[in-house]
Amino acid sequence: MAQRASVEVKTSTPVAPDRRMMPPVLRALLFAAIGFVVLDALTVLLDYSPQSPYLSQTGAVAGWFGALVGWLLGIGGYEHIIKPMLGFDDPGYKQVGWRRFFQLADDHKVIGVQYLVFSTGTFLIAGLVAMAMRFQLMSWQPTIFQYPQSYLNAVGIHGTLMMFTVATVAMFGGLGNYMVPLMIGAKETVFSKASGIGVWLVPVGVLTVAFSPLLGAWTTGWRGYEPLAASDGVGMLYYYLGVFALTLSSLIVALNLVTTILFKRTKGLTWNRLPLFVWGILTVSLLTVIWFPEIQTTFLLALTDKMAMLNMFNGLGHALGFSEFFWLFGHPEVYIVVVPALAMWNEIIPVFTRKSLFARPMAVLGLVFVMMLSGMVWAHHMFTNMRYSEMLPFSFFTEMISIPTGFAYLAAIGTIWNSRMRLTTPMLLVLMSMFNFLIGGLTGLFVADVPANLQLHNTFFVVGHFHFTIIGGMVFSWMAAMYYWLPKFSGRTYNEFWGKFGAIWVFVAFNATFLNFFILGLHGMNRWVSAYPKYLQPENFWTSIAAFFLGAGFGINLIHIVWAWVKGPKVQENPWQAKTLEWQTSSPPPRYNFEELPVVVAGFYNYGEGAPEPVIVAKQAGTQA
Amino acid sequence: MANMVLFGVLWIVISLLGEWGVTAWINSAPNGTGPYFGSFSNLGIIGAGAFDFLLWVAVPIFVFVVLMLVFAMIRFRVKKGETPDEAKNQSRVNKTFIGIWVVASILVNILIWLHPNASGLEQVFAAQKVTAKQHPLIVDVTARQWEWIFSYPQYGISQAVNSQGDDVLYLPVNRPVKFVLQSFDPFHTYDYQVDVIHSFWIPGFGVKQDVVPGETRTLVLTPTQITSTEKNPMVRVQCAEDCGPGHPYMEANVHVVSASAFAQWAKAQAAGGS
Repeated sequence: MAQRASVEVKTSTPVAPDRRMMPPVLRALLFAAIGFVVLDALTVLLDYSPQSPYLSQTGAVAGWFGALVGWLLGIGGYEHIIKPMLGFDDPGYKQVGWRRFFQLADDHKVIGVQYLVFSTGTFLIAGLVAMAMRFQLMSWQPTIFQYPQSYLNAVGIHGTLMMFTVATVAMFGGLGNYMVPLMIGAKETVFSKASGIGVWLVPVGVLTVAFSPLLGAWTTGWRGYEPLAASDGVGMLYYYLGVFALTLSSLIVALNLVTTILFKRTKGLTWNRLPLFVWGILTVSLLTVIWFPEIQTTFLLALTDKMAMLNMFNGLGHALGFSEFFWLFGHPEVYIVVVPALAMWNEIIPVFTRKSLFARPMAVLGLVFVMMLSGMVWAHHMFTNMRYSEMLPFSFFTEMISIPTGFAYLAAIGTIWNSRMRLTTPMLLVLMSMFNFLIGGLTGLFVADVPANLQLHNTFFVVGHFHFTIIGGMVFSWMAAMYYWLPKFSGRTYNEFWGKFGAIWVFVAFNATFLNFFILGLHGMNRWVSAYPKYLQPENFWTSIAAFFLGAGFGINLIHIVWAWVKGPKVQENPWQAKTLEWQTSSPPPRYNFEELPVVVAGFYNYGEGAPEPVIVAKQAGTQA
Repeated sequence: MANMVLFGVLWIVISLLGEWGVTAWINSAPNGTGPYFGSFSNLGIIGAGAFDFLLWVAVPIFVFVVLMLVFAMIRFRVKKGETPDEAKNQSRVNKTFIGIWVVASILVNILIWLHPNASGLEQVFAAQKVTAKQHPLIVDVTARQWEWIFSYPQYGISQAVNSQGDDVLYLPVNRPVKFVLQSFDPFHTYDYQVDVIHSFWIPGFGVKQDVVPGETRTLVLTPTQITSTEKNPMVRVQCAEDCGPGHPYMEANVHVVSASAFAQWAKAQAAGGS
């Protein structure tokens, strides 16, 4: 896929390098190894005793920071960040063609593709872990996970990678980086170099989390919560560090995109005309800027606590403290995941229904109010251990947040009514996403109800609920967005039959898998168990079979999208006749997006006869088909 | 207009069918506990009532949206052979529709917050205020990695075990039980790091309460049916908060028995010298 996008870039990239340099990824690995060894050695030297092992807990943590710095310098931080800071000239980007994707980049489109590839790769890794978990759960006794801690560690890795590298990143770091500057008519993002560094934190985080069991199993699940973490293996430390790297990456995305949206909008792109997806990314960025530093601080506290035994989060301190800090971030995180998806629905629906977006201000207000309310609902994750007096307010806000979430449905339903719908693959996936997220939302009524929650909490009912919101809401919308923007990424398109085939396959398998979770939960199946009472085995067995079909379905879609990106049939510019700005330039877009910046004179979601054209100028001569 | 009438009729008819189906499901077990399997205690019955009510609320909402998606796919799709033109109706605002939507969603949310949530909670809170007149059975529950230990201070039982030596929980039916929940390891009191958060859950009773190290918490409930783990595997003590490698195995059998059978059991346990 890399070769495709490179064609347009020739004009602005420097000519071939004058001397050979080591491939940045290899150099980064080398620097990382050096960094690890040096800082680890330093910890030994500073606190030397004849018995001290070369690799200690402290050494592993210090070494990790050394490796992180080495990795970022090696990938290009040295030439493009450190040297220019010291007054040397930035030597420019020597890698061309597909090699651009394997180094520090400052082109938001390259960075977006890097994020998408990392997300997709991690989706595969964490998905395979899920398959292993489902294989284990086919039997009520241990099979492939002989020890419960290895199963629990798998659960933790699955959840952590899916949350911090896929759900939070794919539509935000990936599609957000690629599309937002195009959609607001900007030539580049504001902090393009920071953004380029940020994306390379993702592989660091993924590898740290994925290989953390080598240092000792951890059993806390994706929350990494104290006080259990204190007695867990040393791998726990690498969970905190890995998530720190991943959240730092998303924080950089947020700072970069929120600044870009605030200051780089093209002429005439007022707040009232801002595309829905950009509104989604803006609200998500603000949520990230508010809540990610909070969880990073918490994780660093927990890291220190585990190494130095400060007794902050156990029976001697405040045992629930970590959970409180965690969910204070944890619930806004859920909306960080799902808000771009809600925005994406209303981005895609008007294009394929050929109808003006209904109640646009409501759709935008919905996103904004979800953002504001999301920090007030978090304690519903703790109904089983909170004060009685807190139950009423938190259940109140939890139920109220369904009102602004519903506005996304209001706009979508108002738009498809009396429309002329083209039922293409992206449109079909949006409708499927609306169906799935509806089930996720309605089951939310049950878990938000405190008396029922006291039974459903920590059962598979809750697991089903959040997989319906995250896979059903976000992953289906992500797939819709990928099919929708394929012609933009590569100038090629997908096969309509295989697109629909893949969508229907995933939809059926997804519902067959996760609808079962609700029944399992009601039947007393609790979370975080590799072994369970025998009476639950038949239901679990069929759930697992459906889950394997779901895994295969994602594989089908992935192969199809990659094929379409690289070898799919060529397609005209703007095949959907969409009106937003990203379609007003060539596909794939040139290095600086627009030859001449477009000027916006009307909203992007007006259809029908006599609808005003939203853009003047700016079409490159000869690119409009 | 024709579409609106057709949609409205379909919505009402399918919603009614849905409500009928849901009601049949709810009434497939006594006390309206068809879909909700944890209703062998007074708190579980409150939860079951909430669950049933929310099912009734959810049906018309679910039908409205799903019918809309299907209806649109059938009625508003550009079929093969038709010219793919722009939609004729380009209405971007409909104050009646938006107004009804907003008011209805606010009302539904306030309704379900008041009932079954707040009303159910009031009952749960009231059930916690047990007086000495009700002669509550006090069970001290100690959660450790990974075992539930039950002692009955009123009966001089320091650790209730069955004939295999496994921890077991015996409860008399229809008598309030006050569980006093603590998380610590009585065999390793020097090691505060093994004290983690557990959750005391009896799925058949429809309620759970976390057991937090350094705190003492209580949970009062009344078992309402004679049953046991052997009869119904839902009636078991199961740890519901991830507490480390032994978490899946942190369970204990439960027997809900008649008052006389309980007295007999307690006598035998106390005499058993434990």
